[in-house]
Amino acid sequence: MSRAKRFIIGGLVILAALVYLIYGGMQEAIVYFVTPAELKANDAGSKGKFLRLGGMVVKGSLQRDPDGLTYRFELTDGSAAIPIYFRGVPPDLFTEGKGAVVEGKIGDKGVFVASAIMAKHSEEYSPHEQGKESSPRSFIPGKEKTKP
Amino acid sequence: MTAGVGYVSILLALICALGGIVAPILAHRTGNERYFAGARAAILGQFVLVTLAASALIYGLVSTDFSIKYVVNNTTRATPFYYRVTGLWGALEGSLMLWEWILIIFSGLVAWIYKDRHRELMPWVLMIFSIVSAFFLLVVAFASNPFETVFPVPLDGRGLNPLLEDANMMTHPPLLYTGFVGLTVPYAFAMAALIVGKLNDSWIVTTRRWTITAWFFLTLGNLVGAYWSYHVLGWGGYWAWDPVENAAFMPWLPATAFLHSIQVQERRHMLKVWNLSLIIIAFALTIFGTFLTRSGVLSSIHAFASGPVGILFLAFLAVILIGSFGLLAYRADHLKGQPQLDSMVSRESAFLLNNVVLVSALFTIFLGTIFPLISEAVTGSQLSVGAPYFNWVTAPLFLVLVFLMGVGPMIAWRRASLDNLKRNFLWPAVAALLIAVVLAVGWVRDFLPLLGFTLCAFVTATILFDTALAVRARRRIAGEGVFSALVTLARRNQRRYGGLVVHLGVVLIILGIAGSMSYSVEREATLGQGETLTVGPYKIQFQGLRASQQPTHFRVEGAFQVHNNGHDLGLLTPALKFFPGQQSPIGRAVYRSSFTQDLYLILSGFSEIEKNRATLRLLVRPLLAWMWLGGFVIVLGTLVAIWPPKKGGGRRDEG
Repeated sequence: MSRAKRFIIGGLVILAALVYLIYGGMQEAIVYFVTPAELKANDAGSKGKFLRLGGMVVKGSLQRDPDGLTYRFELTDGSAAIPIYFRGVPPDLFTEGKGAVVEGKIGDKGVFVASAIMAKHSEEYSPHEQGKESSPRSFIPGKEKTKP
Repeated sequence: MTAGVGYVSILLALICALGGIVAPILAHRTGNERYFAGARAAILGQFVLVTLAASALIYGLVSTDFSIKYVVNNTTRATPFYYRVTGLWGALEGSLMLWEWILIIFSGLVAWIYKDRHRELMPWVLMIFSIVSAFFLLVVAFASNPFETVFPVPLDGRGLNPLLEDANMMTHPPLLYTGFVGLTVPYAFAMAALIVGKLNDSWIVTTRRWTITAWFFLTLGNLVGAYWSYHVLGWGGYWAWDPVENAAFMPWLPATAFLHSIQVQERRHMLKVWNLSLIIIAFALTIFGTFLTRSGVLSSIHAFASGPVGILFLAFLAVILIGSFGLLAYRADHLKGQPQLDSMVSRESAFLLNNVVLVSALFTIFLGTIFPLISEAVTGSQLSVGAPYFNWVTAPLFLVLVFLMGVGPMIAWRRASLDNLKRNFLWPAVAALLIAVVLAVGWVRDFLPLLGFTLCAFVTATILFDTALAVRARRRIAGEGVFSALVTLARRNQRRYGGLVVHLGVVLIILGIAGSMSYSVEREATLGQGETLTVGPYKIQFQGLRASQQPTHFRVEGAFQVHNNGHDLGLLTPALKFFPGQQSPIGRAVYRSSFTQDLYLILSGFSEIEKNRATLRLLVRPLLAWMWLGGFVIVLGTLVAIWPPKKGGGRRDEG
């Protein structure tokens, strides 16, 4: 086998390994961000996929079970609403009529089972956001896996 | 007044920079050597003026001159002196000012050190410096002016982001910028060599030490960043594959590849085009990183507010890539006729493979970082690429690298004989396999970490074995003791032994990463007063909440009495800090390190309603402390490598 051929074959092997690595990794780690309307439109295709769903918590929809840890509510983007089921501790800022992002999968009967409710971070790094002062009286954040 | 002095200095420096660009071209056109002196004078002028401007900004910060907007945004009257100074890199405008300052210090050093050398290259080297400097001055003067004034003058400033008020944050950005800017030196020499068409190895030999130094600062900057993340951000990790971290890490990969492949060019005059490409990519990535983090295209804690800065950086990036690779193509005929690889089993091919792996790692990380941008631009759908992608993709690549770290320094050049392989690798391989068996029987049951630990053992064994053989030889020949034999060896071949020590440091870091990633334990529990949580050998008893008003914030801490196997580790008090004007509190995690594992406590919530109930998040991260230790070993190794050689004795390196 000539030298050039050997280099080409070696290069192809490395390239194939890389493509496999990248493809496999992306399959595992990509999380799509969808709106309630997009989710409604593609109900079947979204089943079983890990998603991030963002919208507004519908006023009057928030119910808390007696165990204090189970929440049911609806997220809307104005045109569609998705029922959410969540067990855990939601972030401090989570309340009706405010924006929220949940992470999880769409389950049976079109209910989105959230494994986490994420605090909405501001888009920009600025220590002096206009906003309410945080209350040190009690604080229970959501499950954030990444750093702030 | 201060603002005026600073701003005028910047404008004058910009004029100097433009002069520094034009002078070498004029000299070349007219054949008048006097213009070459102009290039030097332009650098000197910029050095003085930019230093004046930076000093003005520091003076403004220290004297809390609130007529300057930047000072208002980054200090308060209550800010202590050192945090006023570090306010220089607390936000975008000052960071760019600092970058330009470090750049012009490097340029000045180069101009001064090579005053009488490289007469042909130097004007063009200085021209490249002036081009880069002109860009940064342009940005500082017109797109992100740190000397912008406010009227009426406010009574007090708003202060630094509290997360940045930490000793590590005082050093992390300057270290990183020094690393980034340091890469400009080999880049400038490479471009000068291309312009002149003198493409022998002299630009590489000259910039060798600069490259090692830049690499060193890049490494340290990234490590200190990781340490800051672990120490301050309070999430229990040190690396999140956040775009900001990737931006700082990406230039490190081609820089490391370059550091290795230039040895092949020095020895065997191969890989000329490759080396030029690597340094262009490394330099371009430093600009790309700034674009990524400072333009607001991605949002994260470091991504400062957006502005025209992004477009300018993107344009400059295009100029660099088109200009540099255009020049490379133009000189392509000068770069032909290189020696061929003799054998696949040789040091050249080990280094080549090392380069392929490093560049592959760069490509995968780059792709993962910009994929959300591409996706949003092309299909409009928003997505995020999580840390699992980066871990999955880089783990095998880095394991191959660790293996090559054992092979590369010991295998023979050109063609390794079976004898050479047996001599250098038989015993280290046996030792590594023995350790692997012991680990597999005793503790480590999973494939990937076992492979990682085994490869770490292999690299360590090759280095110890090789050094032991060399020491034995010296003892026999010169009758030296072990210690003086080691010193003689290191003195005779500083680059080799410095490099080996750096490799040992990298092994320790890999050990820390493999241990902490594979065997971390994470638990979350809500505890009432007096309740105890038991995790592994640790017993954590919750003693109660304490609240206090601090000068800058309100602090709530949980007191936890911690025992490790009955051994008292004392009272640990993770806290939440509530800053006025901030929406959510900032956690202050507390941890205890040991050689075997770290215990990391985070107060993740508390409630007043049920009185003294705290939600505690606890992490046990094995071997993590070895990472930071590895950093110190790298410092040591780099010092060995770049220590000025003895005059007259040993092999002298130019540059």
